[in-house]
Amino acid sequence: MVEHADDDATTEPILRVDDLEVRYQDVIVGLSGVSLEVARGSIVAILGANGAGKTTLLRAVTGLLPVHRAKITRGQIVLDGRRIDGQSSTAIVRAGIAQVMEGRRIFGELTVDENLRTGGFTVRDKAATAATHAKVMGWFPKIAERRGQRAGFFSGGEQQMVAIGRALMAQPRLLVLDEPSLGLAPMVVEQIRQIIVDINAEGTSVLLVEQNASMALSIAHRAVVLENGRVAREGSADELRNDEKIKDLYLGMGTAGRRSYRDAREHYKATNAAAAARAGAAQVGDA
Amino acid sequence: MATDDTALRLLPTRFSRVSIGLVVAVGVLVPFVVSGDFWMTVLVSAGIFAMGAVGLNVLTGFTGQVSLGHAFFLGCGAYTAAYLGAARGWPLPLWLLAAGVIGGVIGGIVGPFALRLKGNYLVVVTLGLVFIGIHIFENWDRVTGGTNGTSTSQAELSLGFTDFRSFSIPGKDFSELQGLYYLVWILAGLFVLVSANIVRSRPGRALQAVRDRDVAAEVVGISLPRYKIGAFVISSSMAAMAGAMLGVQQQFVGPTSWNIFLSIQYVAIIIVGGVGMVSGAVLGALFLGPLPEIVEKYSDKLPFLYEVKGEGGIVSIAAFNEMLFGALLIVFLLFEPRGLAALWLRAKARFRTARSTP
Repeated sequence: MVEHADDDATTEPILRVDDLEVRYQDVIVGLSGVSLEVARGSIVAILGANGAGKTTLLRAVTGLLPVHRAKITRGQIVLDGRRIDGQSSTAIVRAGIAQVMEGRRIFGELTVDENLRTGGFTVRDKAATAATHAKVMGWFPKIAERRGQRAGFFSGGEQQMVAIGRALMAQPRLLVLDEPSLGLAPMVVEQIRQIIVDINAEGTSVLLVEQNASMALSIAHRAVVLENGRVAREGSADELRNDEKIKDLYLGMGTAGRRSYRDAREHYKATNAAAAARAGAAQVGDA
Repeated sequence: MATDDTALRLLPTRFSRVSIGLVVAVGVLVPFVVSGDFWMTVLVSAGIFAMGAVGLNVLTGFTGQVSLGHAFFLGCGAYTAAYLGAARGWPLPLWLLAAGVIGGVIGGIVGPFALRLKGNYLVVVTLGLVFIGIHIFENWDRVTGGTNGTSTSQAELSLGFTDFRSFSIPGKDFSELQGLYYLVWILAGLFVLVSANIVRSRPGRALQAVRDRDVAAEVVGISLPRYKIGAFVISSSMAAMAGAMLGVQQQFVGPTSWNIFLSIQYVAIIIVGGVGMVSGAVLGALFLGPLPEIVEKYSDKLPFLYEVKGEGGIVSIAAFNEMLFGALLIVFLLFEPRGLAALWLRAKARFRTARSTP
């Protein structure tokens, strides 16, 4: 998995999304004209408000669109030079993408060990599975202690570790994480953050969807901002961190104070109204 | 490698090996002690229930697909035994396997419905099977004998030198019922072995992953169609073989026995026994399977029961049995949702902690 890490600047990106359009039930446009690249060995963060299309993008990448009655109506997705759009999620896992789903979705009745083994479902090589298993146990000493217990009884943070461990068991080339910090205590978020950095350092490329933008930008190499199903902004994490609008909207550091990035439209309205008030005019300024 | 493999073994501890050995030994010795026809009948039907319940457990317990269609598959097996075993005179291994294959094929045809339906909706569709089944059984005269039913008493029951209808070892002759007891429990043991092997291996984890989180299972690369339909095939194949044995035991197969009450009985067995545990299906079958027969046998000791209306008493035996099933289901769902098997596990855990804390 680390064989190309040295020449990542010249090789094909691990994941390329080209002009992607997704429609739900043939009518509702979920994504339109979305293009992005995940360079080999990098972490790419996807930011955006609720309904911006982050999860839809992940569903398209991991082949889960049919479950939600959606399909790709234009564009393509290429994993390591191979088109994967339209393939089943099973085939995509085998091709090398593993997903940590939003809300963890661990198998509650199964033990930690069984969860992990199930995660390695597509890997037939027993020695490789055992090695990955040992590696995961090393990353997560907390769940390693409780490996024989049913995972359904674990705390949110521990379940998230089981979920990440399960995804890693598939030995993915690209790890896709959907809101890994959602609903977790700050200390646990910090742990999860560190784990993502470690996993990436071992050569696994990461596509990270996060509402916690400051966390995401602190570890990502590049970031893509989605708004209303389109790419609104793209750049290196540093660039975006210092961008006024991003600060305002996603990092809660702008002039408007700590606003909820969950509703970008609300925020636009609020900033516009503030600008208008400052200008002493009743008319609404530009967004 | 650091992987702890105890969970992957069939019999992980010495304790489990010893206790399974004891259970088998007791099972073998039972016919030497019990000879009364009534109790042998009870044990034979418990064995048949165990076969079918182990099958239903694969579908409902491991894969989380509740089905009320089990009676239909049992019926298919029973008619196979009657038609191929009795009318055509096929040998035991052939008609039994044929029942399994027919059940499996029909399960494979029905299975795809489970891909689009979950929970109560699947229950309703599988329930529909029971009514379709009764209609077919009543009208396909040539094979099923229509409403008059058909006999299975001529079905071949011998394997090699052993005729289970009358076999003997030096010093002991077994009755037909005792022979049937061995046959049925050998099959139940095989089913237990098969399903215990499924559950602790890769496909078993896949089935349970589908049960716990089906979309997440897809995300780790498990093919939902393959495993959901596969569970149906295995389950209905086992059900059909159990039905074949039931047909042979009753010596007669009629169209109305394969009704919703039989299906509910099976669901109750795995709930009371312990959903998702192989041992639970067997325990439930032993405890709940023959309960109606036992109640009927001892109904004269229970003054509130009547067999014929007007004899005194307030409920009929059949109604009381249905009430008993309902009550047991409610009690177990409320107080011990993981069933008899969990009671046993809990006792074991208590014993262990008592031993470790002096």
